[in-house]
Amino acid sequence: MGYPYSHEKEVPILSKYFGDPEARTLDGWKARGGYQALKKALEMTPEQVIDTVKDSGLRGRGGAGFPTGLKWSFMPKDKTKAHYLLCNADESEPGTFKDRELLRWVPHLLIEGCAIAAYAMGAEHIYIYCRGEFFEATQVLGRAVEDAYEDGILGEDAMGSGQKIDLTVHVGAGAYICGEETGLMSSLEGRRGEPRVKPPFPAAVGAFGMPTTINNVETLCAVPPIIENGGEWYRQWGTEKSPGTKLFCVSGHVNRPGNYELPLGFPLKDLIHDVCGGIPEGRALKAVIPGGSSVPLLSAEECETCALSYEGVVEAGSMLGCASVIVMDESTDIVHQVMRMASFYAHESCGQCTPCREGTAWVTKILRRIEDGRGTEEDLDTLIELTDQMTGTTICVLSDSVSPPVQSSIAKFKDEYLALIRRGERMGVT
Amino acid sequence: MTDIPFKNPGWAGNTGEYDLTEEQVRGLDFVGVRPLEGAHAAGSASYPFMLAEKAPEAPLFEGGYQERFEKILSRYPNSRAALLPALNLAQEIRGHISPETMDRVAELLDLSGAYVRGVATFYTMYNKRPVGRYLIQVCTNISCNLCGAEDVLEAFLKYTDTEVGETSSDGSFTTIEAECLAGCGYPTCVQINSRYFENVTPQEVPKILKVLKNEGAAAPSSADEGGDG
Repeated sequence: MGYPYSHEKEVPILSKYFGDPEARTLDGWKARGGYQALKKALEMTPEQVIDTVKDSGLRGRGGAGFPTGLKWSFMPKDKTKAHYLLCNADESEPGTFKDRELLRWVPHLLIEGCAIAAYAMGAEHIYIYCRGEFFEATQVLGRAVEDAYEDGILGEDAMGSGQKIDLTVHVGAGAYICGEETGLMSSLEGRRGEPRVKPPFPAAVGAFGMPTTINNVETLCAVPPIIENGGEWYRQWGTEKSPGTKLFCVSGHVNRPGNYELPLGFPLKDLIHDVCGGIPEGRALKAVIPGGSSVPLLSAEECETCALSYEGVVEAGSMLGCASVIVMDESTDIVHQVMRMASFYAHESCGQCTPCREGTAWVTKILRRIEDGRGTEEDLDTLIELTDQMTGTTICVLSDSVSPPVQSSIAKFKDEYLALIRRGERMGVT
Repeated sequence: MTDIPFKNPGWAGNTGEYDLTEEQVRGLDFVGVRPLEGAHAAGSASYPFMLAEKAPEAPLFEGGYQERFEKILSRYPNSRAALLPALNLAQEIRGHISPETMDRVAELLDLSGAYVRGVATFYTMYNKRPVGRYLIQVCTNISCNLCGAEDVLEAFLKYTDTEVGETSSDGSFTTIEAECLAGCGYPTCVQINSRYFENVTPQEVPKILKVLKNEGAAAPSSADEGGDG
């Protein structure tokens, strides 16, 4: 059930108890069937748990869409050293606001998912890395964790199974880059949140030098229903390559913004015009960013046929990312918004790699110059060349993330740039 | 809780589709008052660390805080990993992280002062300088920006009579621009200390400021009441 609006086309699995304060309490969660999946998992072998997740085809919900069961299977089987599970709750991709809802409405679903995953991978300790700004959501989670310990769900003898499952809520302090998995590990260790070169991959050398798996909040929340109902059950929704449901975070110019849980493959135009109640005041659609600020913009025409699955959005010329749909109507000043996105990356670059540290700053400066009406047509070529050089040349993909909004906006909305450059006219602004 | 008599009182629950109180939406009734010394160690790092009351000279750490600090330490394989939670705790008490605070935290965790400085300056949420009783962070990133966030920022600056990053003359408010606060569906999203205000419009800014002033009865009253919108 979406929040703060719901829609009849939703398939509420993760979001079933959004808006239901009773579901936060341990008793309330148990009354709703909570912790049955963990009980079931603890009776299975770790391999069976991983196989079930593999069967479901669940893909990582943090943006990359890597198959979750496969990721889990990379963890070494021998227990000669500590294994860790990190839950990435450092949600900060502009346009994304699903994890905060999961944390504050169904904290026990996340705890349950974490515990199942930890059992499957033999992880001795789970850290949930919450973004520093999530004071309220983190406290809800913290309180739920305390209850779970008290009830013996977590601890030395989880649910009487003899398994030790420990979990700690860790709180960051505001840095987008800590959402990158190796940056997250650095930050957890008490360092600057600087990403690390891969390989070695976290499953070999991760947090504290030990094998580590990092999963997104939404991924882990999808695990309990899958364990309870089986992998095939989950495949009744979505597409062959993108099974299941997904929380779509819709923001920007729509009448009913919010989170909606829909089967993957749902048509983008129905999401905007039906589920979200269309665009305010009957204005026309101009562009949509389908997966958070790091993916290419889609023009209104491209939105007509786009299906919201991992492969469907690629086919339309963008990426699903974490399904953060940012809707822009005809009143939008595209150049200004792209400049705002670029300045975000300039602010959040960790500064380790020169192409990123310098590139993000220069892209922002050039865009600002164009916005001020002092740009030249050559600036557009410079922007493309610059963002090309920023792609694939750095440790992590923050640098690469600048290119899609810049290049796609120049390709699709060149007239807006030219209007500013040639005549100093802003387009879209009403 | 203070009754806030305006539309969307700091949360997005009143869309008419959910019958919820503000406490229920924000989870306040569930969380309750948490003990200073922390409950189970697993959740000890989850406390809010931006509070209106600040004690810049308070010792690090003593009493209940020392107990919470030890609980936090117990959750990590080495003391370095407790650095962020320890700085959070220091900021909860002192309100900002001064060089002296960094040195003290370094000492407690057996790290060098320079190392702690390097880490503390990496993260934006550590206030390197004192801030007002209320730190107002206005998201101006894309989703909020599309819905008028820059006007909301302007309104906060206008009604607190400050520039970005400056503290109002009565010491009550510091307004800064924030990157995405993950409340994109409720634009404009504003974080004031540890609390999220959602669906904020420029018209509501004076009312929000008034509510904050009433909450902080200890705060000196200012000539600038900000009007009643």
